[in-house]
Parts: sequence; structure tokens; C-alpha cells
Amino acid sequence: MILEAREIRKEYKRGGTLLQAVDDVSLELTEGEFVCLVGRSGSGKSTLLNILAGLLSPTSGSVSFEGRNYTEMDDEALSLLRNTRLGYIMQGHSVLPNFTVLQNVILPHVLFKRGGEPAERAAELLEDVGIRHLSSQYPHELSGGELRRVAIARALLSAPSLLIADEPTGDLDDETTADIMDLFAGLAEKGTAVLMVTHDTEAASRSHRILTMKAGRIVKAGL
Amino acid sequence: MKYRPYLSFSDLALCNLQRRPFRTAGLVILVALMSFVLFGGSLITYSLFSGTDALAKRLGADILIVPQGYDNKVEGILLRGEPSTFYMSDEWLSKIAEVDGVRAVSPQLFVASLNADCCAMPIQLIGFEQSTDFVIEPWIKTVLPGSLADEEIVVGGAISGKVGDTLKFFDRDYRIAAKMEKTGTGFDASIFMNIAAAEMAAADYETAGGAYPPPEGSISSVVVMVEDGFTANEVTRQINSDFHYGKSGIVVVPAKTIINNVSGSLRVLVIFIAALAGLLWILAVLVLAVVFSVMLNERKREFGILRSLGATRRRVSSLIFIESGVISAAGGMAGIFLAALLIIPFRNYIRDLVEIPYIQASAAWFAAMAFGCLLISFAVGPLASLFSVKRMNKNDAYTVIREGGL
Repeated sequence: MILEAREIRKEYKRGGTLLQAVDDVSLELTEGEFVCLVGRSGSGKSTLLNILAGLLSPTSGSVSFEGRNYTEMDDEALSLLRNTRLGYIMQGHSVLPNFTVLQNVILPHVLFKRGGEPAERAAELLEDVGIRHLSSQYPHELSGGELRRVAIARALLSAPSLLIADEPTGDLDDETTADIMDLFAGLAEKGTAVLMVTHDTEAASRSHRILTMKAGRIVKAGL
Repeated sequence: MKYRPYLSFSDLALCNLQRRPFRTAGLVILVALMSFVLFGGSLITYSLFSGTDALAKRLGADILIVPQGYDNKVEGILLRGEPSTFYMSDEWLSKIAEVDGVRAVSPQLFVASLNADCCAMPIQLIGFEQSTDFVIEPWIKTVLPGSLADEEIVVGGAISGKVGDTLKFFDRDYRIAAKMEKTGTGFDASIFMNIAAAEMAAADYETAGGAYPPPEGSISSVVVMVEDGFTANEVTRQINSDFHYGKSGIVVVPAKTIINNVSGSLRVLVIFIAALAGLLWILAVLVLAVVFSVMLNERKREFGILRSLGATRRRVSSLIFIESGVISAAGGMAGIFLAALLIIPFRNYIRDLVEIPYIQASAAWFAAMAFGCLLISFAVGPLASLFSVKRMNKNDAYTVIREGGL
């Protein structure tokens, strides 16, 4: 088991009203599983994804990654986990403007010192997503789709055992979307668990399992 | 920034600064301004204190007696080397010597040169009686063991010319027998000679067309040393009482009054400089805190992204502190460099402006003050960003990202 979430709840206060963004959600992900999370905007998908990525604390419930409970991990341990075992592609642009494409991709390696040379691996990943020729460009010189591919390459740098992606194909054309979905499917075949939020039903159809969220709950599971 | 495929953690901070040159330059200038005032103010204040100390040590006499109305002139001679010519009868020498509490007296004769081949401006000639003097003689002895011949002079540290050269005053040549070290006082721009030579100069002064020819047996001042057990103020009161204060034609100036006047002016200046430097420091911290708060707020998404990539809270804080530290250090060094560049070459102008003895700080003090000011400047940026960092660190990474805009 890669990821196990039990009875997750997340409450927000908005204008004095208590809002249940995620309501009693439990799910499990195993190695090599490709799961899509779908649902309308505001259904709680992104909030759930961020809780599972360890970027947001749930109000109640627990998340375990490879058997380790997030609540028992300090900032250092949780950060190291995100840096080495968990790839995360956030919604919207997430490429830092002051660094080149290649520098952006090797960022995880800079944040936590470890052995090995990341540049070669980064170049391979940029090749995989089709933008190796843009390695020395700055983000302002790239299109939205190219920026999205930089974020994907960066999330894969540490060869994570779980890839969490929040609408990774939102800015991409059909052809590139298909390429990225091929890439994700290939990762899953090699044993990486993939959890992806998408509005694209075509893309979701490539997954092993689709979870539908509504008002903070998973209301439907299956293909 | 020049393209570098590989990054170290500190490169992240440097890239961020270099890729935003205007923002970085603005912040550096703000810190530089603060550091300029802090270091420049400290340097000037220290130099003025050194000058006042030197004056107190060099003055030697407890009391000075000059013709009535000339107490400001003697202060000008001592502090700023402003040349003056004034006289009173040498009878005062014996009269003052008999006053209770007076241990020793010695005459001085002041003559302002009309011009000299050493200097573009008239300068002060000070004649003193070598056999009785206790003010100038001990100090001259450090550079000239023997006595001064009639056509020999000792020049102050600011007078051009070296030992063995001759200077011409009123068409008469004087040989430089010794040169004093700089003191930061008016003595630097004065020339010392024995009283006989000064009397000759005074006579020449008349021939050369000087406005106030000295009558026979004139002196300019009597310097007084008080007996042990008496204070300068007590003896001053005694002299004023014995010779009917205000009607005698003389004025008694305790040396401490001159020093105190200088110290008083200095205190006001120090308070002003300290207040200005303190105010600017607080202002710099506040402005930088606001600027950093706005800047960090704008960059929340960037920091959230770093957190999502595995940066710990401490790592993100370090990044911000490195950036603000580099800004502070660069600003601090620029301000110190600029202050040194302006103050050192213009020290004479500053001394004339403040009208207080001024001695430039030694290299060791200069380095110590520069280091201290650099430390204070260096603290500004990290201190200013501390509040924003603490506030940001309270939140989850996702909240930081959301606050930075999706």
C-alpha cells in the first residue's frame, strides 16, 4: 500500500459559516495504480489532494504514506517525503520565474542535499515531455502548455512512488494531453501510483479507477 | 543572471536578487542611506571628540587673560587657528602673578601675518617666553630639545614646509626648526616663536602697514597656572575681584570654559547625529518591514511551491533571510564606503563647518567603527523580514500557496 487515507474531514470557516470542504473521505492507493478524481468545481478535489500530499492538515482523520502517518511526522520528515517519494503537480502555474527551465526541474535536488547529479536526469525528463530544447529558457519565454510540462518533469525528478497531479493537462492541447497521459500510464506500469484531478473525461478514461467527488464526499467509485 | 545549469541553495537567493535588479537596487539604496548616516555620523563624532580631547591636553593653562572684548578671538585662535592681533600692557604679568592662588604666569604675543609664502591666507604667529612658559614649551620640547633662536620658528602640523626650510613674514626670513604633529586644533595652523622674535614681527607688522601697531611693552595674553588646592574658578573670581571686573580692561577666561563650550557644541552635535542615525535606522527597519511584507506577500505562491517541492519551513525562512541579509550587507558596505569617500577627503571642510577641533580617527578605530556599523546595517534586513517570515510559517504550505493566488 502506497497511500491510505482514513475518514478525512476538512472544515473551513467562511463568513461565520462552517464549510465542510472534505467530508469523511477514505481511500487507498496501491503501487502502479492510476486513479482519477473528478467532480465539479468546489467539490473538494483540490483540498483532498493537498491533504494527501501533506500540504494541508485535515481537521480530522489520518493519512499514511508507505505506512507512515503524516500526523506523526514533523516538518522536516514530511518535507523530505515530499522531496523524495512524492511528486506533486499543483493547479495553475508553478514554475519559478527567476530560474531557467532546467534549473526549475532540478529544484527539488537543490532543496535537499543528496548524492548524484540531477542535470542528466532532468534533461531526460525534459526530453520525455518534449521541451528539452527549452532547457535554458526562462519561464516568461514559454507558453502555458510548456510551463505545465516543466512542472511535470520537475515532479518526476526524484522518481517518486506516488505522483499527485491537480489538473495537469488543463492548459494543454489534445495531442500534448495524450502524450502526458501516455507518460502517466507508463509511470503506472512501472509501479508509480498516480492520483490525478481532471475535468477531462477523455484523459480520465486512461486511468484504472475514477473517483467522483460531490460536496466533499466521494460519491462514486469505479470506471 | 548568467545561465548556470546547476544551483546551490544560496544561488537561489542570489538568482532571485539578480533577476529583480530594480527591486534589489531600491532596497540596497535604502539600507545604504541608513548605513551612510550611521557610519558618517560615528566617524565625525569620534573625530570631534578626539579633537576636543587633544585641545584639552594641549591647552595646558588653567586660565587665560586677554584684553577685554577679545575672549572670542582667543577661542578662535585656539580652536580654529583664526589669526588675530591684539595687545595689552605687560604690567598685567606681574599684577596677575601676585593674586592669591596663582602659581605661575607666562606671557604670549599674538601677531597675525599679512601674508606668508607658506600659506594662501594670513596665519597666526604666537610668541611665548621660553623661560617661564608652561603651555607651549613642554609640548615643543617633544620635537625641539633646545631653545629657539630669534629667527627660528616651530610650525603647526597644517603649515606647509619642512624642517630647514625658511618662511618669510613681513619681509623677514624665519627658519623652520621643528614641525608639530597635527592636533586638530587651531595650533595646527599657527607658528610658534620666542617672544623676542614675535616682538620683531609685531614691529615689522606696523612697518608693513598693519592696522594696530603694538605699543612698547605689549603682550596679548597671560597664561595662568593655579596653585594646588585652588580651582580655576576661585582664582578667576579673585582676579575679577582684585581688578574690578568690567573696568580693568582685561577678561579672565578659565580654560575649561573654552573646552566646555566646545564640549557643549559637541554634545548637541552628537545628540543630533545619534538621533538622526537612530531615526533613520528605525525608519529603515520599518520601511524594509513594510517592503518585505508586501514583497513576501507577493511571493507567497513562490514560497508555497518550494514547500510543495520539499523545502522545510526553516529552508524557506533561510532563503528569505539570505536575500534580506545580502541586501543589508550590500547596502551597509555601500553606505560605509560612500561615507568614507566623502568624509575623509573633506575633513578640513567639515572642521571649518563645525568650528570644533577635529582629528581623523586612526585606521584601527576606522575599521572598528566600519565593522560595527556593518553589523548594525546587516541586522536591518533579516530583522525587517522576521515578522513576515513568522506569519508565513504559521500556515500550511497549501494555505501559503492559496494566499499567494492560484
